[in-house]
Amino acid sequence: MTGVWALVGALAVAGALAVLLKVREGRISRRTTPSADLPAPVRELLTPGVTLVQLSTTFCAPCRHAKVLLRDLADRTEGLTHAELDVTNLPDVTTRLGIMRTPTTLALASDGTEILRVGGVPKRDSLLDALRPHLP
Amino acid sequence: MPQDLPVDPRGPRFSAWMTTVILAVVLLTGWWRLLAAQTVLFAMCAFISLKLNPWGHVYRFAIQPRLAPTTEREEAAPLRFAQGVGFVFALVGTLGYATGLTTLGQVATGLALVAALLNAAVGLCLGCEMYLLLRRYAPANARPQ
Repeated sequence: MTGVWALVGALAVAGALAVLLKVREGRISRRTTPSADLPAPVRELLTPGVTLVQLSTTFCAPCRHAKVLLRDLADRTEGLTHAELDVTNLPDVTTRLGIMRTPTTLALASDGTEILRVGGVPKRDSLLDALRPHLP
Repeated sequence: MPQDLPVDPRGPRFSAWMTTVILAVVLLTGWWRLLAAQTVLFAMCAFISLKLNPWGHVYRFAIQPRLAPTTEREEAAPLRFAQGVGFVFALVGTLGYATGLTTLGQVATGLALVAALLNAAVGLCLGCEMYLLLRRYAPANARPQ
């Protein structure tokens, strides 16, 4: 009988996680990380405009979808550049940036100040709306 | 470790549904030998090749020909990593059931089922999502390279 309850519990947990992750997917959070705290491998990717730095790992299935979306967005938007950083073997970078999952995308100003970050595959329109005040 | 080519993403989803069914049967019956077989399957896919997954062959021969073709492909590395995470939970579950620690077996099997169901139903790879967390807290000599 406990097996039935274990199954019901597992199904409930799966359902709750699915809803939670769906809600969090592509959510934009704003924070102002000082540019001095930016790890060197991320700083090297900065461009004169806004840079979308996508942090990925080898084991991340949705990173490919995020890359396609962000690359296309950058290609069509003036002043916006996309760069991908594989952090599979860079745990210090993710720890310093406080990143728990991939893909996570950082929008960085030319001086390295963090404008916003997106967890999961971004939603194109809401990301563009959030970036618009920082674009030429 | 041999490299696998990218795969049709619908294949792993089908495989995840079959894994979900197997793990549900284990939870309902406590049949630990079935869980042991699933553990071996996880290990073969994670540490040898995804081609050893029999559900992949069922998908290719019985289901894929009935579906519209797709050019979409999914990299093998995340799939193999997920199989490795499944292996750990299934192994703990098997040991729990086999040694009389039924609650441990049920909890571990339940967690594996949660991951398999999320993968099957919404295409979410829980193990892949948690890679950074797993890496952060894994012992240095157990970290994947």
